[in-house]
Amino acid sequence: MLLSIVIFLPLLGVIAIALLRGLGANAVKWIALGIGLLTFVISIRLYTEFDTANVGFQTNSEVYQKLDWIPGIGASYHIGIDGISLWLVLLTTFLTPICIIAAWNSVEKGLSGFMMSLLALETGMLGVFCALDLFLFFVFWESMLIPMYFLIGIWGGERRIYATIKFVLYTMAGSALMLVGILALYFQNNNSFDITTLQGQFEPSNLLFLAFFIAFAIKVPLFPFHTWLPDAHVEAPTVGSVILAGVLLKMGTYGIVRFCLPLFPEAAAHYTPLIVTLAVIGIIYGALVAMVQPDLKKLVAYSSVSHLGFVVLGLFSQNGTAIQGSVLQMVNHGLSTGALFLLVGMIYERRHSRMIVDFGGLAKKMPIFATIFLIVTLSSIGLPGLNGFVGEFMILLGSYVGGAFSKWYVVLATTGVILAAVYMLWMFQRVMFGTPNDINASLPDLKPREIAVLLPILLFIFWIGVGPNTFLKPMEASVKEIEAKVRVIPETPAVGQVNHQTDTDDAVVDVKTATLKINEEEALSK
Amino acid sequence: MPLEIPDINWSLLMPQLVIVSTLLIVLVFDMFDAISKKTLGWMTIVGAGIALWSSIDLLQAGIDQTQFNEMFRIDSYSLFFNIIFLVSTILVALVSISYLGSGDKKQGPYYLLILLATLGMMLMAAGNELIIVFLGLELMSLSLYVLASYFRESPASSEAGMKYLLLGAFASAFFLYGIALVYGAAGTTNIPEIISKLSVDDQSSLLSASPLFLAGIFLLIVGFGFKVAIVPFHQWAPDVYEGAPTTIAAFISAGPKAAGFAAFLTIFVDALPKLPTQATGVIVLLAMLTMTVGNVIAIAQTNIKRMLAYSSIAHAGYVMIGLAAANPDGKSSAMLYLFIYCVMNIGAFGVVIMARTTDGENLMISDYAGLGFRKPLLAMFMTLMLLSLAGFPPTAGFVGKLYVFKSAVQAGHYWLVIFGAINTAISAFYYLRVVVTMYMREPEEELEFKPYPPTLVIGLVLAAIGILLLGILPSLLLNPAQNAVL
Repeated sequence: MLLSIVIFLPLLGVIAIALLRGLGANAVKWIALGIGLLTFVISIRLYTEFDTANVGFQTNSEVYQKLDWIPGIGASYHIGIDGISLWLVLLTTFLTPICIIAAWNSVEKGLSGFMMSLLALETGMLGVFCALDLFLFFVFWESMLIPMYFLIGIWGGERRIYATIKFVLYTMAGSALMLVGILALYFQNNNSFDITTLQGQFEPSNLLFLAFFIAFAIKVPLFPFHTWLPDAHVEAPTVGSVILAGVLLKMGTYGIVRFCLPLFPEAAAHYTPLIVTLAVIGIIYGALVAMVQPDLKKLVAYSSVSHLGFVVLGLFSQNGTAIQGSVLQMVNHGLSTGALFLLVGMIYERRHSRMIVDFGGLAKKMPIFATIFLIVTLSSIGLPGLNGFVGEFMILLGSYVGGAFSKWYVVLATTGVILAAVYMLWMFQRVMFGTPNDINASLPDLKPREIAVLLPILLFIFWIGVGPNTFLKPMEASVKEIEAKVRVIPETPAVGQVNHQTDTDDAVVDVKTATLKINEEEALSK
Repeated sequence: MPLEIPDINWSLLMPQLVIVSTLLIVLVFDMFDAISKKTLGWMTIVGAGIALWSSIDLLQAGIDQTQFNEMFRIDSYSLFFNIIFLVSTILVALVSISYLGSGDKKQGPYYLLILLATLGMMLMAAGNELIIVFLGLELMSLSLYVLASYFRESPASSEAGMKYLLLGAFASAFFLYGIALVYGAAGTTNIPEIISKLSVDDQSSLLSASPLFLAGIFLLIVGFGFKVAIVPFHQWAPDVYEGAPTTIAAFISAGPKAAGFAAFLTIFVDALPKLPTQATGVIVLLAMLTMTVGNVIAIAQTNIKRMLAYSSIAHAGYVMIGLAAANPDGKSSAMLYLFIYCVMNIGAFGVVIMARTTDGENLMISDYAGLGFRKPLLAMFMTLMLLSLAGFPPTAGFVGKLYVFKSAVQAGHYWLVIFGAINTAISAFYYLRVVVTMYMREPEEELEFKPYPPTLVIGLVLAAIGILLLGILPSLLLNPAQNAVL
């Protein structure tokens, strides 16, 4: 029941707001915030009740649920979480109340509709991460499109209609193929949509793999399917961008790790060179394009393309460390990029511009803003001690030492880390330093509400950076299981050793942290 | 030879009998000027309601019999279709009451014709015999020709009726000729007998290879193709929908299409596996063409009625997928889809009626600009209907499409399903464009809207509840549909 409550509480909030919106804007805001916080608080119990020894999905009846839904089709209401979805669920419930507070004063028209969309979106996203039935998964996957479509289309910027339609059509085109794949799996799975019983060889595995992979690659987005992302991000309202970058993109990488890899390991191995090439192109291309963006939001959007390239790289490495790093990096990216979008939104509200050239010298007038911005920027670059480093390091290390592909891919991908430092720090310099012009000199610093929005994110940025084992431990068993399923290359002793050390031994992580710190500093000094 | 009078169990014919009595009552009461014409609408609704109730009752009793010397079939299949027709009739009558207004004297024939058409549809679904199917088809079509041109003063309406009559008459002729050829080849017009003759594995007199029979089957496809408006026999549909009164456009797009498919499915789902594979190829090709042409042309429409007309063509294509699958799941998925399609399509037309201004109907999509915030109820209904037509969960349209696709995957028609799925994405574009217009664009001019008539709102609320309920709990309808094809 617990998990069902977490999933459907926001939907209850939608209904409550629909019924009570006559009470005025303030009531609507507080209802939304109350529901959002309550969902988050309840979802924390998912973590405290989590049994790390459990391989696969949690069997606790509070979390695991299976009920007949449409017996005529073979679909059931079947939900549960494992160590991978746990973090994505928590990320979703964590970011939603933050988004509600962030949108507190910035929505001018249709506030109740905005909050309803946001909460409906939360239900959709949580459903995607928790569904253990392909039919249910697809229902959530598609239904989450509608609130996002409204969020961008109604409350977005100038070219919002173009952006929102592009977003919906890209996703739908991908999911159309996935639907065919789901149906084909259904008949090979004894006429059942049950994800937990899906195993063995599916035919034609290469085509089925692609049917799923393309849908997820569009969502990630993997180069060359990424063109919808900058449009959607730039036109979306701040909160829309936060949710989009923070959670929606993770649905693609989650789909890969949940379906593409374990169900079609051979097909995945077959396409790994192609996919990893695309991922590396995405890393470098995203970074290079981000470097020349004059618009802050577009810069962050392209940096997402680059960052998610790392995640895909790690996922296809067939190496436990790298896969674990990828899962952690999903959460990291949600926190850092979400925070960046929030910060860009705050400065946009003050200055009504997102152009880098319009800024300069903000650090003097807005010290709190500048400090937080710096921390988040560094976290996005991957400074040791902050969250981004742990994930990226694990991905690069795992795929270099035990990856199923040439080490040159990893070497090329590492340049992305350097490029990230270039575009982020250069942007920071242009925005924050120098002498402020008249308009910028009069900008007020962050208000308490805005600080309250950012502080929780900062807490996790540091927490993951300093004590990643809190987060790595619960996902270990699940990642090991995925790794065992995807491994088609012969296991070398060195790989096993590295796995063992990174996953279990805190001290080793610290040592590596130190080593890479030096590398990182070298990179920066260049 | 003494004349044999078959024993007839009248209680099994209850739904049809109720409809006949209702139409007689309407006919009689129409003569009294003292009775408000709206009462006739309510009588239609009550009559159809009773017929619906008795159909459900018979369905639950699990009746499976034939009457009138095996010409007439009362089984869960025909009863399921009865439910589709009667639900459509009730919804259309609900939206019609306010649409026609209270002043018009000529409302009697309107309801009378709707009831006659409904009776025709019920005959088509119950026909165990090509002749009965043809009788039902004609009864339905003739009523619809008149209904399409019901607004005699409007040239568009008269044109619609004329076009429909001419093309419909052609289609009927094709159909009748097809029956003649099939009879010539098979020696019977009884559908189960024809099917069983197809199964005979005697090489010397192989029916499925007989050119005469195949020509007849081909003509039947053409005849049905016209009636259910599949490409390339669809040209009449947009003009008729646009010109006909909006309520009648809703009616034509729903019930009659379902009735055409009811007979189409009876004959072809069982016959297709026994016919040469080219026949399945033809159906698959028609399905692909219908979906693609319907959806692509709908993108270019600026008039909402024409857009809905092309969308309804495309939806016939989705039903054809279930037909092409030619397995039990295909049949029940087509039935489920038709039910859902009828409800959501009548709902969409209902919203078009709801968006009437004091100047008349708003038929241009651009007129819907800004309605999202100024007319929240209307916009909400429209959004729900369109999302369901586009096949988004958690609406019924999604379940319908998924089930159709599933049956085709089972039959191995992967390409057909990929086509269908891509078409779903294409259709989302034009359905969502209306939503975009309503919520995301500012109106160009202030329009004065008529107040919502209560009956219309009731009809739309029923349709909306149906769509959401079936989207979340499809088993309510899925189980009867699956039982019907066992």
